[in-house]
Amino acid sequence: MIRLERRVDQPRWLSLAVPLGSIAVALLVGAVVVALSGNDAIATYSRIVDRGFTSRGAFTATLTAATPLLFTGLAAATAFRMGIFNIGGEGQLIVGAVGASGAGIVLDGRPAALAIPAMLVAGAACGAAWAGIAAVLRAWLNTNEIITTLMLNYLAINLATYLVFGSKSRWRDLEGSGLMFPKGKAIPEAFEFPSVDFGNFTVSFGFFIGIAAAIALYVAFRSTRFGFQTRVIGDEPRAAAYAGMRTKRTILALLALSGAVAGLGGASDVGDTRHLLDPKALGQAGYGYAGIVVAALARLNPLAVVGVSILMGGLANAGRALQGPDFPAGLVGTLQGLLLVCTLAGELFARYRIRRAGAGAGVVAVAAPPGAGVQG
Amino acid sequence: MSDVTSEPTRAGGSPPALSARGITKRFPGGVVANEAVDLDVAPGEVHALLGENGAGKSTLSNCFTGLYRPDEGSILVDGAPVSFHSPRDAIEAGIGMVHQHFRLVETFTVAENVALGEHGPLRKRADAARVRELGERYGLEVDPNARIWQLSVGQQQRVEIIKALSREARILILDEPTAVLTPHEAEALFSVLRRMTAEGRSVIFISHKLDEVRAVADRVTVLRDGRTEGTRSVAGADSRELARLMVGRDVTLGAERIERSTAPTDDVLLSLSGVRAAGDHGREALAGIDLEVHAHEIVGVCGVSGNGQRELAEVVAGMRATTAGTVRIGETELSRADPRIAQRAGLAHVPEDRLHTGLAPSLPIEDNLALRAYRSPPLATGPFLRRRRIREQATELMAAYDVRAPGPTTPTRVLSGGNVQKVLLARELSSSPKALVAASPTRGLDVGAIETVRTLLVDAAERGVAILLLSEDLDEILSLADRIAVIYEGRIQAVVSRDDADVEELGLLMGGDRSHLDGDAA
Amino acid sequence: MIASTALVQVATVLAQAGDGASSALPVASTGGGVNSNLLIVIFASAIFYGTPLLLAALGEMLTERSGVLNLGVEGMMLMGAVAACWTSLHAGGSGWMVVTQAMLAAVVVGGLTAALHAVLVLTFRVEQIVSGLAITILAGAAGLSSYLAASLDLASSPIPHRLEPIHVGGLADLPVAGPLLFDHNLLTYLSWVLVAVLWWYLFRSRRGLHLRAVGESPATADAMGIDVVRTRYVHTIAGGGLAGLAGAFYPLAIIPLWSDGLTGGRGWIALALVIFGFWRPELILVGAYLFGAFSSLGLTLQARNVEVSTQLLDSLPYLMTIVVLVFVSTGWARRRLGAPAALGTPYEREAR
Repeated sequence: MIRLERRVDQPRWLSLAVPLGSIAVALLVGAVVVALSGNDAIATYSRIVDRGFTSRGAFTATLTAATPLLFTGLAAATAFRMGIFNIGGEGQLIVGAVGASGAGIVLDGRPAALAIPAMLVAGAACGAAWAGIAAVLRAWLNTNEIITTLMLNYLAINLATYLVFGSKSRWRDLEGSGLMFPKGKAIPEAFEFPSVDFGNFTVSFGFFIGIAAAIALYVAFRSTRFGFQTRVIGDEPRAAAYAGMRTKRTILALLALSGAVAGLGGASDVGDTRHLLDPKALGQAGYGYAGIVVAALARLNPLAVVGVSILMGGLANAGRALQGPDFPAGLVGTLQGLLLVCTLAGELFARYRIRRAGAGAGVVAVAAPPGAGVQG
Repeated sequence: MSDVTSEPTRAGGSPPALSARGITKRFPGGVVANEAVDLDVAPGEVHALLGENGAGKSTLSNCFTGLYRPDEGSILVDGAPVSFHSPRDAIEAGIGMVHQHFRLVETFTVAENVALGEHGPLRKRADAARVRELGERYGLEVDPNARIWQLSVGQQQRVEIIKALSREARILILDEPTAVLTPHEAEALFSVLRRMTAEGRSVIFISHKLDEVRAVADRVTVLRDGRTEGTRSVAGADSRELARLMVGRDVTLGAERIERSTAPTDDVLLSLSGVRAAGDHGREALAGIDLEVHAHEIVGVCGVSGNGQRELAEVVAGMRATTAGTVRIGETELSRADPRIAQRAGLAHVPEDRLHTGLAPSLPIEDNLALRAYRSPPLATGPFLRRRRIREQATELMAAYDVRAPGPTTPTRVLSGGNVQKVLLARELSSSPKALVAASPTRGLDVGAIETVRTLLVDAAERGVAILLLSEDLDEILSLADRIAVIYEGRIQAVVSRDDADVEELGLLMGGDRSHLDGDAA
Repeated sequence: MIASTALVQVATVLAQAGDGASSALPVASTGGGVNSNLLIVIFASAIFYGTPLLLAALGEMLTERSGVLNLGVEGMMLMGAVAACWTSLHAGGSGWMVVTQAMLAAVVVGGLTAALHAVLVLTFRVEQIVSGLAITILAGAAGLSSYLAASLDLASSPIPHRLEPIHVGGLADLPVAGPLLFDHNLLTYLSWVLVAVLWWYLFRSRRGLHLRAVGESPATADAMGIDVVRTRYVHTIAGGGLAGLAGAFYPLAIIPLWSDGLTGGRGWIALALVIFGFWRPELILVGAYLFGAFSSLGLTLQARNVEVSTQLLDSLPYLMTIVVLVFVSTGWARRRLGAPAALGTPYEREAR
């Protein structure tokens, strides 16, 4: 009989070995899936590495694909750290894109030095407000944020669709072909975000903002009073109430922060990539849900989110570049899902010690007794 | 499956109804909860299992009910060895258990709870009839169609016993059954147990109260540190000997007062007047409390659990809103329910649920030690924490309060109960409070930790802290308090000086009986 | 996102089908007289579009009653849809046999997908919410369901056999009651039977009593000899089977051709419906048809040249879910009809 014992302390090597082992298992299962559909698994993986990272221009495209995931990953990590399950990164990013493109369109003619920060602020503010709806409901009416943030995703996409396809709003291009085939109105060319050329690859302005956000969040969670509060509330709300922490306000602030980060992702989508509000593309991209994968794989560590988002961005980029009869759509999503499932399952080995118990001596179900730790 | 295959033979010296032979149970981390425990329970006897908290009583009973499997040793039912793989096996072997925390589904009816775990189609009417029939037979009347949450604690306990009886339990294990009962209810329970043993059923009565054991048991087995210290017949047993077996050294029976070098002054540091508050379910839990605690004074509040103690502590700590009356800490009147106002006014609070209310269990010790003071210098500069200072503070406090742990970053939940309480007291007492509210501060702790905690409380009182001590343990109150307030249904029944306290009188008051007081007044 | 695209697809199919050509769609059946009255058409199509919601929500209700939250409904539905599509394309036999096999395949595959969640949550002790999302991402519109559909070439041809409405005797021609009650396909009738059976199971059977005990107070159930982990496994997998069946409804009854994410986010609506229906089958039925009405209202109105904003109509179910959720989580509703008390919390036998 197998039994599990909760580990009192996690050895350091485990925190490296377990994720690596999980990734290996995920890749192995993925290889089986690929092989079952009649393709060469090793060739498929090497093509993914090639088109995702090593081939000419691949890394630039990968960073572009990673940028929105960086933002939604940070957004998810921010909220999940306190046990708030914001799965509305999708909607918050879309509303952020609405805000940023709106700012860009309205500020036409003003200097870019004013407009670009304004777009970023508008994106963050809209994302924060959108998440704020769920936050208010959660904090004051105790409404489950999982379902509300999810429903708000659908409302966000409908809102963006309405602005471009269902109305004659400022966001819609009402000139030329835009009248016949509705599309978003482009922001002035001067407001397109700059990028930095590193020779082999270029890095967009948005990606730098994302890294700055990751560092800021890391510091905020590690060494500010706010971060301390989120840790306590996330671990035990009763202890937080006992210590006189403002739980409701903290939930509101944290979800708004989470939404703001996702909203910045929307601003980056408009400023860096598409230069207009494109509801269809945003709706199909699924950045929000992929961000949750990124956050979970990064174990909610903001700095790790940077690395994982580049990895996932590389996968997505390779998937797009390779899509064809021998590289079906959905393979990348499947691989991402496998990575997530294996990483989650692998956590068990980090948290518990697995023992084979002698016959007749096992505990059917297991938990360490409170006194199992340090005696005093 | 149970290995009991045939009916035991009663002829020729009937075997014990239940026996344990050399039961050893270890837990991960090297804790040995039971070591070579032997026990024989005869048919038709009430067999008390006496021991302190942590002596291994609950572990042993969990082995009997199939929740744990012993690492070594064997269990025999009617002389035949059995092996329980799950609670179902134990139930089928005729062993029933009434846990300290009831195992009842709150939203279900009494009859539904009794029917849980049985086989065959559900027959509500027959189940209800059975509950009624068992109730009449053993004096356990309860409405079969009532929902559990509508019942009093005593009634819920009856449901637990009916549950066991309806499964034809021949051996009933009761884990500290009187802890939640008034003396009157306890007496009623004892008469139920006598009816059961008269039918030949056996009862294992787990307790750490000597007087109770004397009142109800035929024989008593003492457990200490997971080992059996001997079995005695209650009729011939000497209380002092039992107590010594239980604690492992000579003890002063009853509760002798711990002497202090200072006496209470006239300064009122904590006062409540006309305080009313609602409980969690909207019912009034505090119905007008008037109470004052002076500097250097310990006021003990005793009562049967669920009579407003928790709400009283929460109101003082600013965690529960009052509906009327005022709470003052030092000079400050609590204007609204806000723990920060209470803290700033100089209140320290040791809550009943120390690990989940007083502490964030998964966070490191250092964070928990900073839980009160993290907002301001020296632990914070503006919005930023000073992590190094927090670490230093933790190291200092852990040394000063003798917290035994690998280090300040150890998660608090892995500590033993005594160390958890020391972390909590270190934080609260190091804030130099004016007043302290402590709710059941030694419950569940081992003897050594109990002494440490009591010493810390006495030291605090000597330094001038006004202490409001809420406890269901009368001995604890008698050994610490200067004055004793008895709480019953959200009211203070009476406040008596420790020197005038009479245990019997307190017991009556805890049960809501004030007749003798009224008589005195008249 | 997915919802709007699916509706656009439905609208396209409708437009191509023209009046009366596709009798599988009650929306399109425009006879004369009483039975084409706008309200009746709306109600009948509410039942039609509400059926998959009902099936999926009933499944999730079973799962949640055992104390397990499975956010992977959408993924399980899509896997069921893939299974149904493939079976329908490849199985032999008469139309009815093929459709029956397709439904069974959907149940099995949906159940297997749920089994992954059960293993993660019950054996590997993964946080239930994260695990459910992982299932959705793994199996969802951009994951395994899409990969399988592409690998198995499901999108190249429409499926040959579908769920046709069963006209019950002459009853289908009755005014009002006919189109409402007697002109539906097998799965709709089956869903009605399921509502009754599950009601009986939950509230009148011994196993149902045990199930509710596990969801309310696993420690109690365990002490009474009920196997908590087993109960949770069984009901999580059964719930997944129903979600798979709900997914099968899309290719078998609505759009006879595979497209990625064809369930259009309805799995998420099903999750909301369980709350909406207070974890009771009969109330979930009411909720499902209400939501179904919104799913079809836009199409019905457009078919009659009523100008409405598609985006607004499309938004109504989501807005309503939020409103209902707010109501459910506040005031007296929570106290009286709250979620199973142990929902979302793992059970480990306590050691003291």
